[in-house]
Amino acid sequence: MSAVHVAGVSKIFNQGTPKQVDALVDVNLTVEPGEFVSLIGPSGCGKSTLLRLIANLLEPTTGAVTVNGKTAAQSRLDQDYGMAFQQAGLFDWRSVAKNIELPLELKGWDKEKRAARAQEMLELVKLPEFADLMPWQLSGGMQQRIAIARALAAHPPLLLMDEPFGALDEMTREYMQGELLRICAETKTTVVFVTHSIPEAVYLSNRVVVMSPRPGRITEVVNVSLGANRSEDTRAADNFFSGITAVREALRGTHADHANAGAVRGVEDR
Amino acid sequence: MNKQLRRAAYRTGMFLVSIALVAVLWELYKVVGPEKGGKLFGVAILPRSNDTAMPHLWEMLSRYAEPEMRGPHSRQIWLVVLQGAWFSFRLALVGFVIGSSIGVALAALMTRFKTMERGLLPYLVVSQTVPLIALAPLVVSWGGKLHIFGFTWPRWLSASVLGAFLAFFPIAVGTLRGLKSAPAASLELMDSYAASWKQTLFKLRFPAAIPYMVPAFKLGASGSVIGVVVAEISTGLKGGIGRLIIEYARQATGDPAKVFTAVFGAAGLGLAMAGLVTLADVLLMRNRPKETTT
Ligand SMILES: Nc1ncnc2c1ncn2[C@@H]1O[C@H](COP(=O)(O)OP(=O)(O)O)[C@@H](O)[C@H]1O
Ligand SMILES: [Mg+2]
Repeated sequence: MSAVHVAGVSKIFNQGTPKQVDALVDVNLTVEPGEFVSLIGPSGCGKSTLLRLIANLLEPTTGAVTVNGKTAAQSRLDQDYGMAFQQAGLFDWRSVAKNIELPLELKGWDKEKRAARAQEMLELVKLPEFADLMPWQLSGGMQQRIAIARALAAHPPLLLMDEPFGALDEMTREYMQGELLRICAETKTTVVFVTHSIPEAVYLSNRVVVMSPRPGRITEVVNVSLGANRSEDTRAADNFFSGITAVREALRGTHADHANAGAVRGVEDR
Repeated sequence: MNKQLRRAAYRTGMFLVSIALVAVLWELYKVVGPEKGGKLFGVAILPRSNDTAMPHLWEMLSRYAEPEMRGPHSRQIWLVVLQGAWFSFRLALVGFVIGSSIGVALAALMTRFKTMERGLLPYLVVSQTVPLIALAPLVVSWGGKLHIFGFTWPRWLSASVLGAFLAFFPIAVGTLRGLKSAPAASLELMDSYAASWKQTLFKLRFPAAIPYMVPAFKLGASGSVIGVVVAEISTGLKGGIGRLIIEYARQATGDPAKVFTAVFGAAGLGLAMAGLVTLADVLLMRNRPKETTT
């Protein structure tokens, strides 16, 4: 059973009006359990839309989305996935631990169980002594780690992330990438990860899904697995660079039929 | 914490300074202003500065310590004013509680149903243009006709209802704005957890609304005081500060300082209500980032 199965999905906003946007057209994607799949492409190519369709925050115009063998709607009701966005989006009025407990509270867990799980998650993201602080007392990177802890608190098998490290500085970002890989390996979580950054996609993923806009579609899927034992040295390794080149070429290819071939707007080349 | 204390001290200081400034201006005008009033560019706008129209401040203050009326059993004025203020305070508090419950409920309804907002909000705005003076006798007479399950409408309740009438509007509007201020990303997060509308309301929308609700509740609090005092004056309800103001105003020619004791009492009442809201604010916001507590 696949973790995510997207079959013949299109998403058209404002259909039949002058403001019609073909955000996604005939998208097919299968993600296997334990896989780490990145979505990359220029702004407006429908990455966030595809992620929201998987999360059942949007309904597809045509086609079907299955998560863990269930309809996307049922998976959302069962909290089969956790989600993290570019902004950590922690609630200002809740302590760090209470933020992590939010999804458990909504599920009706009792107090002791919630507190125990929050502490477990804090240890997972290596911030065990931060339970009672308020979110605004943490740095951006720490807040994002708490957001990941919150997304994983209910131990969902699937993690959906929309440019979660986009607002962080480069150093923090690379550290967070390493942490995310460690956490996902420990918890055996499947990840669908939206990013703007080619190196980030290559470093993290088993597969990089390359998308192009107008209409939004998948143009290529690049296999980049760098192996289970990635480290900071991996960033200097040859297969890392060949992965980057492969993804960059796939992105260029999507622009070959446009006037400004070569300049891949909206995608960071660092 | 220290910073907060300093800010509170600073604010109190500024408040006292501004009061002192008004006092100085008052006494200054008494020195330079025309005794019998004056015209400026042909229009009579300069108030009379004589002791009947503008008694000295120290006369107003010393009036508190004197008996209310001549006679052996008269209480001192400070006690009369304090009792009147306490009476009105309780009415205003009832009005404030009724008004804020209605205001918050309306705001929640308008958040839930877009059509409610479009259909209801214009009427709420219009409701506030009805003059309170005209409304007060109406409410009293409606209330007098009300007898449900042995419940008879006490006269004071009319005053509270008018207080509620002035309180609910700013509270409804401010709370509505606050409930809608929850960021789209947070709402989406709650959706991703399949949270019910009620869970989203209490775990996200209301906490996010508090910074908007506090100033709205302050306006509502002073509204409830104004509503009650005006209702007391226009319906002649006995026992409150509103009644004292008209009674003392009638005696202003012979005892000009007296009415001011009651007017200050009413001002103190408004401050006490606003203080109550501020206290709630400090308690609710103690863990929030400090930028939003200003
Ligand atoms: N709710 C919406 N209503 C109308 N158009 C939308 C909506 N959401 C996204 N779009 C449009 O769909 C396209 C894809 O958007 P999005 O998925 O956010 O792209 P990306 O995340 O790749 O930058 C864009 O042209 C965007 O303007
Ligand atoms: Mg996006």
